[in-house]
Amino acid sequence: MRRDVFQAIADPNRRVILSMLATGKLNVNQVADQFDITRSAVSQHMKILTECGLVSITKKGRERYCEAKLDKLSEIWDWLNQYKKFWEGKFDAMEQALKEIQAKNKKDGNKK
Amino acid sequence: MGTKSNLVDNPVRQEVNITRIFDAPRELVFKMWTDPELVEKWWGPKDFKNPVCELDARVGGTMRIVMQAPDGLMIPTSGVFTELLEPERIVFKNFKEDDDGNAQLEVINTVTFTEENGKTTMTLNALAVRITPEACASIEGMNVGWNQSIDRFAYVLTGINH
Repeated sequence: MRRDVFQAIADPNRRVILSMLATGKLNVNQVADQFDITRSAVSQHMKILTECGLVSITKKGRERYCEAKLDKLSEIWDWLNQYKKFWEGKFDAMEQALKEIQAKNKKDGNKK
Repeated sequence: MGTKSNLVDNPVRQEVNITRIFDAPRELVFKMWTDPELVEKWWGPKDFKNPVCELDARVGGTMRIVMQAPDGLMIPTSGVFTELLEPERIVFKNFKEDDDGNAQLEVINTVTFTEENGKTTMTLNALAVRITPEACASIEGMNVGWNQSIDRFAYVLTGINH
């Protein structure tokens, strides 16, 4: 099964986990406590996040700490930023076109 | 590169939102998306031509527009309409490919139009979601390379601005 950042963020629970970990390391229980879903479901999400390279788990004594590795997400942002620029450029042109069309309509209307 | 503070604010941002207010009635702004003659006027930036501008504005219909930059470079874009509610709402999908040309992301674009005092507020929400195996099958053979389009578009625009 292919794992990538887009799969990591496809699930709303995984997005919440990432947001929680974005502010600092948490152990697995602290994460699980925030959810209504079962601990094993949380573990499954955590497993997918580690396989996608967005979370790393380190053992410290009996505790397992989860840490977000969010650098990979920049892959998504870079594309989204470009996408935004792409449309903003187009909408500038749309504004101009609307002005021209309406000016022309007005002129044609006055002729009648 | 993305800043850390940005990360903490919203680490899993996967959408783009743009809002524009146009001094025009919304029927006209809506038609700017569905009438090929009007689309041609804005789809490409200044001095661009659109040698191919095919729009089948109905649910399941495709859009295929090829922009041509002043230096001759062709920039293809394509998508599929999934919802049309005149003059309020248009939803269309397009796809982002990875470096190997495989569709990687499905981008669901929702455009809404509301009018107040003769001015139209248009919003674009683009939500990027990972491609599903079913979607992969349905887009096989389609010209879907929006990431390339966007890269080239950005490249050409930079050239023009200078």
